[in-house]
Formats: sequence, structure tokens, C-alpha cells
Amino acid sequence: MLDPRAIAARVREPKISMKFNTSSKFRFINPSIVRRSSVLSRILLLAPAAFALAFAQPARGDEPPPEPPPSDAKGAKEKEADDHQHEDATVTVRGRVPAPSRGASDFNLRVGELSRVPRQNAADLLKLAPGILLTNKGGDGHAEQVFLRGFDAREGQDIEFTAGGVPINEAGNLHGNGYADLHFIIPELVEGLRVIEGPFDPRQGNFAVAGSAAYDLGLTRRGLTAKYTHGSFATRRMLLLWGPTRESTHTFAGAELFDTDGFGQNRGAKRGSAMGQYEGRLGRNGSWRIGAQAYTSQYKSAGVVRADDVASERIGFYDTYDRRQGGDSSRYSVWGDIETKSGDTLLKQQLFFIMRDMRLRENFTGFLLDVQQAQQNPHVQRGDLLDLHVDSQTLGARGSARWRTKALDQTQELELGYFARADRTASSQHRIDQSGAPYLTETDLDSRLGNIGIYGDAGLRPFSWLTFRGGARGDIFTYDVLDACAQRSVRKPSAANPPGDQSCLSQQDDPATGGVRYREPHDRRGTASIAVMPRGSVLIGPFTGFTASVSLGKGIRSIDPVYINQDLPTPFANVEAGELGVSYARGVGDVELMARSIFFQTHVDRDLIFSETAGRATLANGTTRTGWVGAVRATGPWFDQAANVTFVRSTFDDTHLLVPYVPDVVVRSDTAIHHELPFRADGEKLTGALASGITYVGRRALPFGQRSDEIFTVDASASVAWRMFEVALVATNLLDRRYRLSEFNYASDFRTAQQPTLVPGRHFAAGAPRGLFLTLTATLGGT
Amino acid sequence: MAKLTTRVVALAVALAGAASACTGTTGSEIVSFEAFASGPADLPPDTATRGLSFTNGSGWSITLTRARLHIGAVYLNRSAPISGGQERQCFLPGIYVAQVTTGMDVDALSPALQRFPAPGSGTADHAVTGEVWLTGGRIDEPEDRRTIADVAGTATRGGESMRFEGTVTIGTNRKNRDVDPARPGAKPLCAERIVSPIATSITPTNGGALVVRVDPRAWFANVDLGELEPVSSESDLRRIPDEAEPPAADNLYRGLRGATGVYRFEWID
Repeated sequence: MLDPRAIAARVREPKISMKFNTSSKFRFINPSIVRRSSVLSRILLLAPAAFALAFAQPARGDEPPPEPPPSDAKGAKEKEADDHQHEDATVTVRGRVPAPSRGASDFNLRVGELSRVPRQNAADLLKLAPGILLTNKGGDGHAEQVFLRGFDAREGQDIEFTAGGVPINEAGNLHGNGYADLHFIIPELVEGLRVIEGPFDPRQGNFAVAGSAAYDLGLTRRGLTAKYTHGSFATRRMLLLWGPTRESTHTFAGAELFDTDGFGQNRGAKRGSAMGQYEGRLGRNGSWRIGAQAYTSQYKSAGVVRADDVASERIGFYDTYDRRQGGDSSRYSVWGDIETKSGDTLLKQQLFFIMRDMRLRENFTGFLLDVQQAQQNPHVQRGDLLDLHVDSQTLGARGSARWRTKALDQTQELELGYFARADRTASSQHRIDQSGAPYLTETDLDSRLGNIGIYGDAGLRPFSWLTFRGGARGDIFTYDVLDACAQRSVRKPSAANPPGDQSCLSQQDDPATGGVRYREPHDRRGTASIAVMPRGSVLIGPFTGFTASVSLGKGIRSIDPVYINQDLPTPFANVEAGELGVSYARGVGDVELMARSIFFQTHVDRDLIFSETAGRATLANGTTRTGWVGAVRATGPWFDQAANVTFVRSTFDDTHLLVPYVPDVVVRSDTAIHHELPFRADGEKLTGALASGITYVGRRALPFGQRSDEIFTVDASASVAWRMFEVALVATNLLDRRYRLSEFNYASDFRTAQQPTLVPGRHFAAGAPRGLFLTLTATLGGT
Repeated sequence: MAKLTTRVVALAVALAGAASACTGTTGSEIVSFEAFASGPADLPPDTATRGLSFTNGSGWSITLTRARLHIGAVYLNRSAPISGGQERQCFLPGIYVAQVTTGMDVDALSPALQRFPAPGSGTADHAVTGEVWLTGGRIDEPEDRRTIADVAGTATRGGESMRFEGTVTIGTNRKNRDVDPARPGAKPLCAERIVSPIATSITPTNGGALVVRVDPRAWFANVDLGELEPVSSESDLRRIPDEAEPPAADNLYRGLRGATGVYRFEWID
């Protein structure tokens, strides 16, 4: 995972004595870290450490070093070593122990030189994994909608996201249970990304339906870095990074300010983000980290436009119907963790606290949903603008103990772990009229959600070429939901106290009298359920670079609190997944090759399908996905090429009709070429780099038998570096293709026809036109 | 796990599924079609010039020489309202199969197809009811001065004969005066402008045509023209007031809004 340049720098450090294979990418902790650890840092560590030590045995600190982390192409070699023995790993290095591979769908992605490929944000890094499509109809601060292997994972509902082990999915978020806004992650601070496409690892928890994505935070570019970007749509970005050269890559700080007018109408955005982490040594065989993060943004959103209005030029391709759309988003979090080894047991413990706030204003339907109700005073359609607000706090911890021993001349492993989080979430959704005043309360929930998961994971290796990995996970989910607007309608309202336009009523029908009786408008509901999920993988090989794997697993997605009923079993969405895969990894000279081929099938008993009228995903019937994934990556001394393709067929179980919106063909290519240039300036050679990211998405199935347009985009960058300076020119959508990023078929009425348009029609959110951005970077005192 | 194992075995079969990833459908289809309106199909072609003669339920022999109707919009629905007379809501998102949203004036004395200014659109789902919107502006606007119906003709009963004419608007003049304070929105004005449910059985197809037949004879089914006063003592012309009184005026208005016998939907492939 470490940048080769960083490795070279480490080798030169006098206090580390080692030998290692150049293909190994260990993380190092300089012994001097302990001496440089500030008193403040140690004090800050005490709180999480005290909590952690309550669950973990103290480190004795005299154990051999943990195994190295695998990472993608190079990681394939390491995985090979991991799956066998580590006889030649005789170096004395320290670092975090990665979770073992779960098979061919376990993508441990090293960003490396592919960081030169233009990416808008950290979510774009997901495209390094096969089958990922990102769309965004909600604006620059709205979470990206992620499609993965035939899943419309919405804004994270079906993918478990973590950053440095800290969960990102928001339990109880009204816009989508599991909503995951990744914009707080500064892309330059992502060192690696592990994507498991499927629920095959017992460590995967809630929301790991389509899979999981774990961001590994780190900064390989050491020193002080200042970066300024200016470009199309009045976009400006200022970034500062700090990574002391003598600290590990996991000691860093970064902060950015971003401002843009956005393309077309109503797509402006402003945001600021800061992240920092310190990694220190714990004893002789452990390490600890503490980190903090802050993020706040405000953004506008164009929403969607009707295709028939664009065709008749009633509205422009990049225009908006409602300029009030947009939102605010903030996230603040702190975390701390330790990892140490005691005897044959590796202990991990992490504690985190998150404060999250978001507001979202969206109008998908125009003037459609404000139907006159009998109890209401007569009114015209007042508009469907949604004003959604979520305010949540999350406290949680996770820990594990991993025991290794020798048996049958092989390394055998057993890990026991837990995950716990408590969420307090206040959610409300109102409809806003043309004057900006709320006229209807649709939802007003105050939820307390609990989730405790435990798991056991064994790694049994009867032969050097055969590994059984798997175990089981159990999760309990508890709900305590106060619905402040539970009573919303009455058949025969009181004439003496008519409810009028009130949304939340204090009267209800009285069957005894045939009239009404008083009640408070709120209702409290609580329930709890437990889910048990077996998961396992068999890895066979490698044989001259080949490793075959079979993986099976069950996963769950907890249900939105809005669906909770008192004492009724919590309706989970259960997923069952299986796959057959084969991977190939070899080094050929200086070039490292990796290739994978995977066939998969996944079944979900209760899927989520986006409802434009509700403004969020709603429950649907069971679905099944079947498909194939192919991925290759070749990394050489002057190039890095990754490409992947995914075919998938997603159907409803009852009707066998296609699941709408999910792409059945996704192709992605990331290319980076970097080399010294035949020019010198002041005696120093210049280095240049070219990079491109190419995306093709086939015609997606839409409701009512329709197909979307294809998406084909090319992003490119060119850069020249000299000494501490680098200048880069980035072009997004280089071919300036006018494309529809998201497409939908549903009914809306934006008053562009004489009378309401009430039957489904095509809507879309425009993809960005070509953008050109110039970036200047200066790095002081680093590598 | 046994079930999962079965699923893995099924992956071999799934190869074919993956190969067919780019095929299939989500069901139904988006369609567009032409839309027409006309008088009854059984009328002679020259009815508009000769007039339409018939006898209504009050014994009047009527010859209509003018019968124009403004149709604001037409919708077909996949579901029928539940019988029992629950309060009328202007529209219910999610039930619509087809729509014609650009209005036109229809000569109801002509059997010739009169094309709506813009084509209709919809989905290839079966419709069991339809709606005719009699409005000039937005359906929920409190006022609408657009003339919805414009009629004229002659009538005889026994020895009595007259000329008559009248116009119908649906604005505040049709507002329900008898409002339940507990349910002030139970009878909204917009509901007065919607003729529904009109029974039909149509599945729209791409490239087809929707025809709305309007029978003006049914407008006068219960109109006792004898209740009308002459515009002057010297004139035989009687004008139908654009309000709820006398009953003849109200019956004409109700006749316009009749869900049976007045409007008929036809589909031409």
C-alpha cells in the first residue's frame, strides 16, 4: 500500500534495519515515533484507550510482526504469500494487520499512480472496483448514488461504507436508511480502498447487501503540500496537506475549501473539509491512532427536468424547474483505535463518535402530490418541494481478537469480534409552498437505534494450497421511534374543533360513538430483532499465479424506522449471495499483472426501489441478480492500467421483469503514464504524466419498458512536475458529450403543459459538460 | 447454507443469464398517440348545418343548431373509483394510463374527428375508466370564465315553441355553498370540472388514436326548457342562465357532467 517512493525513503532511514522483497508493501512505524508522541496526543488517547482496554488484553509487546497488507495487483502476490507461508518475511516492520482475503470479489485497491486520473471526490475512487456507476441528481453536497453489481445501492443503503474503520452509513436517515455521504473524505488522503462485492466477510455489518467499501486513510506524499485548482464554472479549490516525513503515512492532516458555480443553472456549491490523524506506537508490537474530521457544505441542486420539455425547448438541458432545491450537510467525528499483539493473539479496539446534520430540498414532481383532502380548506396545488432534515449522533465501538497458531504445518486462525453503535436520529420532512412556508408535515421522527453485532471468523488451512475462511455473524437491531405526527387523518372530523390544514391531528375516530375523540398526535413504537448470517469462502491455489475461490454469504439491511411497528418483528432485507471466481497474479519483469473473473448471483427478499413521490427509497418485492465481472490491472515502472467490465441481469422474483434503473453493462478503464521528460530546468529533470478515466454504461432499464441513454465519458489529465512544483491540467468529459447522468420514468407536473401531466414521462439529471481545471501544487520538505 | 449452495450450483445456469444481461424489460411501455374528439358517430355528416333533432325526457322536441364543448384535458385510468360516494379528489397520482393535456373546442354536432392540438401520451396499461376535464385553466383554480359549453337551438312541446341558447362556465358560480366546516375540502370546485368515472376498456398502443365522442343529446336529457323565461316579452328566445337556478339550467349543467351516456372513449389502432 505504500508508495514505492515512500518505501525508498524508509529504506534510507538509519534506525530501521530490514530486508524485503520489492513487491512487498509493508507499513512502517518508525521506532522514534514513541519519542515524538506529544503529551497531548497521549492524553487524548486515554479516553478511547481506556474504553478499548476494557475489551482487549494489554499488549506484551514482544511478539513477531503482523503480516503485511495485501493490495490489489501487488497484493495478489502478498495474498499468495498470505495463503501459504511467510518464510521470507524476515523483516522487522510494524503495521496494521489487514483482514484476510475473502476471494475473488475482495478488491484491495491501491490507488497509487491512478490517483492522477481525474476524480471529483473520494466517491469516484470506487470506480476502481468493477461494476460501479456513480450518479448524482441531488447536487454537489448530496451523496452519490452508487450502482454496484446490479444493485441500485442508492446513496449507500446497500453498501457498508467505512473510513478508517469509522462507519459512514447513517442508520435511520429519512432520505435513505444507510445514506452515506462521502464528501467529507479528502481524496488525497485516501491511501487505499477495500471493496468486497458481496456479503462474504463476517466483519461486514449492516447495509452490506451489495457489498462494502472501506477507505484506508493515509498520506503518501509527505511534507507540506499546497494545492490550488481553478477552472470551469468558476470552480476553485484550495487544499493543504501535511505529512511529517518521519511519521508513518497514517499521520497526516489535510484541509480543503471548495467553491463552484456549477454548470448550467442552480448547481453552485461551497464546502470545507478537514481531516487529521496521528499514529503512534503502542509497546513494541502495537500502534494507536486518533483522528478527527470536520466537514460542512451548502449546495444548490438543479434536480431533474422532463425530456419532453427539453425536446420542445420549454426548458434547457442544464436548467432547473425549481431554484430552491439544494441542501446543507455537515459531519464532525472523532475516533481512536489501538492494535496490538499479545502472544498469538492480535487485539484491535476502536471507538468513534459522529455528529451529522443534513438538510435536503428536492422537488421531483412539481405540482402533483398536494391532493385536496376533505378536512383541509380548499386549496390549489401548493408545490411538492420537499424539505428534509436529519440530525443524528452516533457513538460506537468495534473490537476483535485474532488468534493464530500452527497446525498441520499451516497457519490456522480464529477471530472473534464485535461491533456496536447507538444512533439518535431526529428526522423530519415537510412540503414547502411557493412562498417558502411549510404547509405539510409528512414525517417527524425521533429515533433511537441500537445495533450490536458479534462474529466469529476462522481461517483453516489443511494444505498449503487450500484455505477455508468463514464463520457467522449475528446482529441485534433495536428501535425506539417516537413519531410526533402519527395521527394524520380522521374520517369524521370534529365540527366543533375542525382540524383544518393541520398535518398532525389530536383527534381520532371513535367507533363507539361514531364521532371523534381526543388523542395526542404522537405515537411511540419499539421493536427488536436478531439476524444470523453465515458467510464463508474457499480459496484454492495458487497454481502458477491462479487462485480459485467460492464464496457464499448472507447479509442484511436494517429497515427504515418509518416502517417500524410496535412489537412486530423488524422486517429485515435479507440478501443471499454466492460466487465463483478465479484470479491470476504474476510479476513479469517489472510489470505486475492481475486479472479476475467472477460469476455471481445475489438474491434480496425485500429490495428498495426509489419512489419519486415519496422522495426516498421504498420497499419492493424480492429481486435476483446474476452476472459476471472481469477485472485486470497491470502496473509497471512507468504506467498503471486498470480496467474492468461487469454484466448483470437484475429481475424481480415474482414477475421476472427487470429491476429498473440498474445498469446491466458497466465498463471502466483507468490509465496513468508517468515518466521523466527529456527536458531539464536548472539542471533538474522534469517529469510528466498523462492519465485518463473512461466510463461506459449501457442502456439502463427504466420503468415502463424503457431504456436510458448510454453513458460514455472520458476524463483526462496531463501534468508536469519539477522539483517541488507540479502543474496539472484536468479535463472532465473531454469529448463534451451531452449525456443524461440519471434517468427516470414517473409522473410529474411542472406546469409546462396546459393541464397536469399525470402519466409517467422521462426525466433526467444532466451530466456535466466539459470542464477544464488547472491545478498548481507545491510540496515542501517532503517526498 | 444449503440453499446458498444450491444457488452457487445454479451459477452455471446463470452464465446464460449474464449473457442476456442487455435484454429484458421492466414491463409495460411508454406510448404516444393522436387524440380526437367529435360528436356521436351515428350522426349524418351534415348535422352541423342541418341541426340535430331529438326528443328529451321532458317531452321537448329539440333541434340543436349549436353545441360546442371545451375539453380541457382527457385522462384514462387504470382503476375505477370505489362505489359508495366517498368525497371526490381532483386527481390521484398513480392511477393514470393516458393523457391529453392540451385542450380544444369540440363541435359536438359534427361526427368528423377533430384533432386535439397536441398528441397524447401514456403507458401500455389497461384503462377501465376515463375522465373528461371541463376546464379552461388549471383544474384547481377558484375561478374560470372559459365557456365550457355553448348551445343553441329550437324546441317545441305541444303547441309551445321557442328558440333557446345558453353557455356554461364552471367557476365560482358552481361553488358548493353547503360547506361542512369539519370537512371544508370535501367537495372542491375542481371536482365539478371533472367528469368521471366514464367506463371504458382501452389499452393504449404506440401510434394509435384516442377518440372522445360527445353526445349533446344527453346534455338535455332532463332539461325542461319550459322553465326558462323569454329574454323579452316580444321574443321567443329563452336564455339558459349560467347558474344553478332554475332547475333547467342546473340540469343542463348536470347533463354536461354525466358520466354515462354523454361521453364515450374509442381506441383506433
